[in-house]
Amino acid sequence: MANVSVAAEWQLLGDRYYRKPELYHPMQWRHIDLSRNKVACAPFGGPIALIRDDSKIVQLYSESALRKLRLFNSAGVPLSDVVWKNTGGRLIGLSWSDDHTLVCIVQDGTVYRYNVHAELIEPNLSILGHDYFEENVVECVFWGNGVVCITETCKVFAVPDFKTRTVVRLADPPPPPSELELELELELPHCVAVIEPQYTLSGNVEVLLAIGDGILMVEEDEVQALPVPPGDGPLQKMVVSGNGRFVAAFTHDGRLAVYSTRFEKVFEYQCESALPPEQLAWCGLDSVLLYWDDMLLMVGPSDEPVRYLYDEPVVLVPECDGVRILTNTSMEFLQLVPSSTVSIFKIGSTSPAALLYDALDHFDRRSAKADENLRLIRSSLPEAVEACVDAAGHEFDVSRQRTLLRAASYGQAFCRGRGIGALLRMWRAWVGFGSNFQRDRIQEMCKTLRVLNAVRNPEIGIPLSIQQYKLLTPSVLIGRLINAHQHLLALRISEYLGMNQGEVGARIFNSAELQRIGSRKMFVLSLSFCIPLCQGEVVIMHWACSKITASLAIPDAALLEILLDKLRLCKGISYAAVSAHADKNGRRKLAAMLIEHEPRSSKQVPLLLSIGEEDTALMKATESGDTDLVYLVLFHIWQKKQPLEFFGMIQARMLARDLFITYARCYKHEFLKDFFLSNGQLQEVAFLLWKESWAIGKNPMASRGSPLHGPRIKLIEKAHSLFSETKEHTFESKAAEEHAKLIRMQHELEVTTKQAIFVDSSISDTIRTCIVLGNHRAAMKVKTEFKVSEKRWYWLKVFALATIRDWDALEKFSKEKRPPIGYRPFVEACIEADEKGEALKYIPKLSDPRERAESYARIGMAKEAADAASQAKDGELLGRLKLTFAQNAAASSIFDTLRDRLSFQGVS
Amino acid sequence: MIGLVLVRKKIKDVPSFDIVQLGSFPSPNHESPRNRVQAHSKLSTSAIVFLCQRRREKFPGQREISLQWKIPNLDNAPINLTSLREQSQKELLNIIKNIRWKKCLVIDPKLGSSFSSIIQTSLLKEHGVDLRHLSAEPLQTDCTKVVYLVRSQLDLMKFICSNVHDDVSKGLQREYFVYFVPRRTVVCEKILEEENVYNLMTIGEYPLYIVPLEEDVLSFELDLAYKESQVDGDTSSLWHIAKAIHKLEFSFGVIPNARSKGKASVRVADILNRMQAEEPVNSPDMVVPEINTLILLDREVDMVTPMLSQLTYEGLLDECLHVNNGSVELDASIMGLQQEGKKIKVPLNSSDKLFKEIQDLNFEVVVRILRQKATSMKQDYTEVTTTTQSVSELKDFVKKLNSLPEMTKHINLAQHLSTFTSKPAFLGQPDMEHTIVEAQSYDICFEYIEELIHKQEPLVNVLRLLILFSITSSGLSKKQFDYLRRELLHSYGFEHMATLNNLEKAGLLRKQESKSNWLTIKRALQLVVEDTDTANPNDIAYVFSGYAPLSIRLVQHAVQSGWRPIEEILKLLPGPHSETKRGRFSSSPSYDTLQASANIDKVADGRRSLVLVVFIGGITFAEISALRFLSAQEGMAYDLIVGTTKIVSGHSLAETFVERLG
Repeated sequence: MANVSVAAEWQLLGDRYYRKPELYHPMQWRHIDLSRNKVACAPFGGPIALIRDDSKIVQLYSESALRKLRLFNSAGVPLSDVVWKNTGGRLIGLSWSDDHTLVCIVQDGTVYRYNVHAELIEPNLSILGHDYFEENVVECVFWGNGVVCITETCKVFAVPDFKTRTVVRLADPPPPPSELELELELELPHCVAVIEPQYTLSGNVEVLLAIGDGILMVEEDEVQALPVPPGDGPLQKMVVSGNGRFVAAFTHDGRLAVYSTRFEKVFEYQCESALPPEQLAWCGLDSVLLYWDDMLLMVGPSDEPVRYLYDEPVVLVPECDGVRILTNTSMEFLQLVPSSTVSIFKIGSTSPAALLYDALDHFDRRSAKADENLRLIRSSLPEAVEACVDAAGHEFDVSRQRTLLRAASYGQAFCRGRGIGALLRMWRAWVGFGSNFQRDRIQEMCKTLRVLNAVRNPEIGIPLSIQQYKLLTPSVLIGRLINAHQHLLALRISEYLGMNQGEVGARIFNSAELQRIGSRKMFVLSLSFCIPLCQGEVVIMHWACSKITASLAIPDAALLEILLDKLRLCKGISYAAVSAHADKNGRRKLAAMLIEHEPRSSKQVPLLLSIGEEDTALMKATESGDTDLVYLVLFHIWQKKQPLEFFGMIQARMLARDLFITYARCYKHEFLKDFFLSNGQLQEVAFLLWKESWAIGKNPMASRGSPLHGPRIKLIEKAHSLFSETKEHTFESKAAEEHAKLIRMQHELEVTTKQAIFVDSSISDTIRTCIVLGNHRAAMKVKTEFKVSEKRWYWLKVFALATIRDWDALEKFSKEKRPPIGYRPFVEACIEADEKGEALKYIPKLSDPRERAESYARIGMAKEAADAASQAKDGELLGRLKLTFAQNAAASSIFDTLRDRLSFQGVS
Repeated sequence: MIGLVLVRKKIKDVPSFDIVQLGSFPSPNHESPRNRVQAHSKLSTSAIVFLCQRRREKFPGQREISLQWKIPNLDNAPINLTSLREQSQKELLNIIKNIRWKKCLVIDPKLGSSFSSIIQTSLLKEHGVDLRHLSAEPLQTDCTKVVYLVRSQLDLMKFICSNVHDDVSKGLQREYFVYFVPRRTVVCEKILEEENVYNLMTIGEYPLYIVPLEEDVLSFELDLAYKESQVDGDTSSLWHIAKAIHKLEFSFGVIPNARSKGKASVRVADILNRMQAEEPVNSPDMVVPEINTLILLDREVDMVTPMLSQLTYEGLLDECLHVNNGSVELDASIMGLQQEGKKIKVPLNSSDKLFKEIQDLNFEVVVRILRQKATSMKQDYTEVTTTTQSVSELKDFVKKLNSLPEMTKHINLAQHLSTFTSKPAFLGQPDMEHTIVEAQSYDICFEYIEELIHKQEPLVNVLRLLILFSITSSGLSKKQFDYLRRELLHSYGFEHMATLNNLEKAGLLRKQESKSNWLTIKRALQLVVEDTDTANPNDIAYVFSGYAPLSIRLVQHAVQSGWRPIEEILKLLPGPHSETKRGRFSSSPSYDTLQASANIDKVADGRRSLVLVVFIGGITFAEISALRFLSAQEGMAYDLIVGTTKIVSGHSLAETFVERLG
């Protein structure tokens, strides 16, 4: 059979086949010797970073002594390079983070970050900080977006996320046991591994240190010794599996052991060499790769490992579904052969898929055997088709992809069978496995493969497997393409896939473009970017930004036209972002022109500020109705301008002015006074002073120093004189004057009565207090001083006398003269004090019979009430009163009451 | 730890009451004309007590019936509010979950009470949260992580700063997280910066814009909105409201019609359109938006209604006991519990079926209904004991008994309310209010208010009448204005200079400048309705026993015929008005009047279309009742839901203007 050659490339490990297709051969680079360099390869087919290893002695050929950081894509096409001039000592480690930032850590703990264009991303981050500046980093282990560093004194630091850039110092490993005290030096770990936060219980990173014979697990605030099976330690090298559940380690006596993360042994294999391997890596989840010079050993769950020989240095790049093997001249991908592929190409396979593939071969050769094959597998055709589609997806070789898909579509054409086959097919269609479904599957696979083949092209150099592609998601892939300035391809792919879920792309766009704008503005902008954009828009915006950077020679107006031409194509374009980029490139005028096109004020306003258009910014912010934006502008101007100029700017803008006043009232009192003084609003200043006087009153420290409440009164008097400046505020002016007088008077009262109960009570309260204290002269004095009306005077005095239950005085008071408001206050005061006898003295004196009636009713005198009511000839009142008493008898039920009421109403 | 214990206790205290204690209630002091109300409830209560005692004999094990705190039931809402609330719950829990380990959650108290409509407090507790209320006092907790959940208000920032400064001075190292509700603002961050605490904080947001209080009531929880925009000129709340409506549109589609009356309303409509332009809601053309019309009303347009005493059951509860986010707090003894002096929180929301039935009725009617129910139960009981009954009938009876806790609750509440309503001061109030609204006897009203001031009645009560008076007579003459102001200052203290100034700025208390047009408005909109039958109302006027709330009349007109026929009247009320088509309907002429479009919708799917009525500056319970009455009318083509900055009463509204300096 023709398929023998395919399976011949496979190796059997245990019961599984592995294969090692070549992704790129030869590599596009020239004269690269991996052994001379430190290498960092990003997973998911990402870029490769190379820099000469300064910890090795290497011979220089015809090259500069200065080291160069060189970046390539996975096919070895150079992307960019930069001379390494960074301070901080030897480069300890470098790695790519998830968003394709190259992170380099040097000896003194400084982290330098580069983007794929070898541009340094400011600011640098220092892991050790000032407190530990004399320490050195000796080892670092990266994962996703984080890193763990070990210093020479075995302190452990971690950066959980390069985006937030916070450094965490983990707990210190305990000092060595006492018998080792002779060795003064701290023991450094033999090897280090990291369990990523996403796999730990606490959600924080856990670091495994192989110290002595055991393992220490270091966390943020605790260290835990994990028991290693006896005889295994010290461990020479270890690595955590991709799902965070297993640790593969190389023991001191040359065994490869696989443990759970709690170090219970799962598997072990005795290697031929006791020398620890140079590299140790998981291949998927099923096998472990060990690399010594020249030899790559793949150990699986079975006894017999697979050996590969290499005559050049290799670098192992673990992926989610295998390992990429990078050598000086090639890139290979070592993976488990997918089961669908096995079923088709396995030697002697008679699976339906294999027969279908074979049938196509016969068909192409016009052999009648094709039909025979099809007949054989008629009932299981759909499975065969499915397997061919799946296998095609896993192929890197384009012609084999094509053959497999042809086989699938050939088989699919026969899926419309008759008889039992048709019934079966109908049933399958019903459960969602019919030919339509399969046709979609084939189409979908074609689409996916087109995308994959496009990015696998050496020029792009992203050799993704289908599994990696699914894990990475198309939108992230597009983000990465944009990041690498492959705009056209990114646009084509996003159009081709018809994507409109762009958040991820927007995020990447964000991080790439806006890193250097100030934090606040960054916040506002990034918020606005979070709205879902069409993927195409992200691409076009990125194109526009790159265009601006690249076209320094084109005049503003012309460039604007070029840009708008393309930007108009998409609806949700963020003009603000493009404008910000223009501004960053020193093209302020262009920025101003672009920002005019931005409909979103939340983005427009910060940018207008940054290009110095404060007035327009204030106007736009006010229009938007978003007070937060107005405040943003307000504080910006406030900071930038002289107070007077600032006052002038906000004076005419009502919203800005009111907001300023609100803030200043709460926080900048003195400044607010300046503001009011500057525009002549003296009454407002007066109000402020008046309020301050209350604040002083509340503060016991202030009044203790000056028993006369001097400062308070002074403030109030100042307010008084300010109020009197304008005609409209005579009322306030008079009130302030009276207030000052009142405080003086109350203070005197406090001195004479030796009771601190007067200050800060109202005039009425003062009068009442005086009467209650029996000081009628003082009460009278307050009354005349403040011209208290007779009406109020009577209410106050009557109630005050009733409070102290001085009924004689009350009666005397009633007889002083005819009360100006009648005897009602007297009656009310007595009733409220529950003194019926006293009330009776005054009720007959009430002039209005209705009042009389109600008063009688309130003290429960039914007959008198009824008399008074009938005198008033008020039927309605009579009805109400009668009702009251009917209930007071409390004998009748509610029904009776209701009937009573109704019948009475009928009568009246 | 103390905090945790406290919280736990509080939850435990929430009424789990022993119904047998119901026998004792205070005997009435005043025998006033309106005491009949009291007597009704007394009788019915005894009936129930009797029943309960009997029942206890029957089921000795079931002595305790606990009234668990329940968040409002939203299942029958005309739009899917449950998902809205679930989203808020999820976001809140995410914030809490994302901060690992033990933490102290410090909530600003107002926000805390809003949360009671969103989430069960016990849910927060499950996530290892030590719950505190924000205040200027130093924070006492063992936790090293402190999470502040605060509205973005300036004064709250000062509390946070003082807490942090206190920790720093004590040498405590804590991790601080500040989550702003609904969003972070420059001005708050500025204060944190100025106080040098900004660097210690991790800042986040909790985008809570809308709190569903009931199936048909959404609150934006902006209790100071009216004062802030009327007195301080701070219009932040308007943006917030627009944002909230815009958020609703993301879930339920662009609202095609908008009517607004009042300055703030027109501005909100404007901001909303701007938001739609900046961040369009992409609803597919085929889908009919769930909300058909948006009616925006300024409180400024109608300040008369909230100043009147509400006479519906829920409104009266608010007037007397201050309903706060679906609960009232009162002495345990009132609810028949034996814990003297202890306060308990009594839930009042639609999860209580009986409450749902009676909340909108005039209080008089409520008492009658409670009595009827009690009587029928008593009758049932007698039948159960005397005659031989089938099992199914017994079952029905037992089923009825299940509503006993609700019955006792409301009878207790009604009982308590009548102690308020029977006071002469309370009795006089609605009468005088009606006199003012009638606007025929100026001098009587003036003298009444003058006397209130002289008697030093509670300031807020006086202000309510004064505002009402000033509005209906469009200001006071210069002489009387100055006189009353002086008397106020003399009686209540000079610190109320600021209060008066606030009222004046808001236009609620002012000098007369033009002739009042209140009479015209009153007549044209038929605000005063004679012969209102509160038991079988035929007009919204039942909620105030004879006065139809102006605001709801406007809604009634807007829904029935649009603004156009009453344009002349609208011009007499403060602020501009507008009527717009929005979204893709903005240019379609076929949607001419609401009525027409409503009929089309009705034919289309047989469902009534939905109107969202937004009150900027707050709505009272009585007005909500009136709206519910409207939408329950036959021939009404609309369901109404209410959005409001906050549920207010005349008291709470007037209170926001009072400055407490002394």
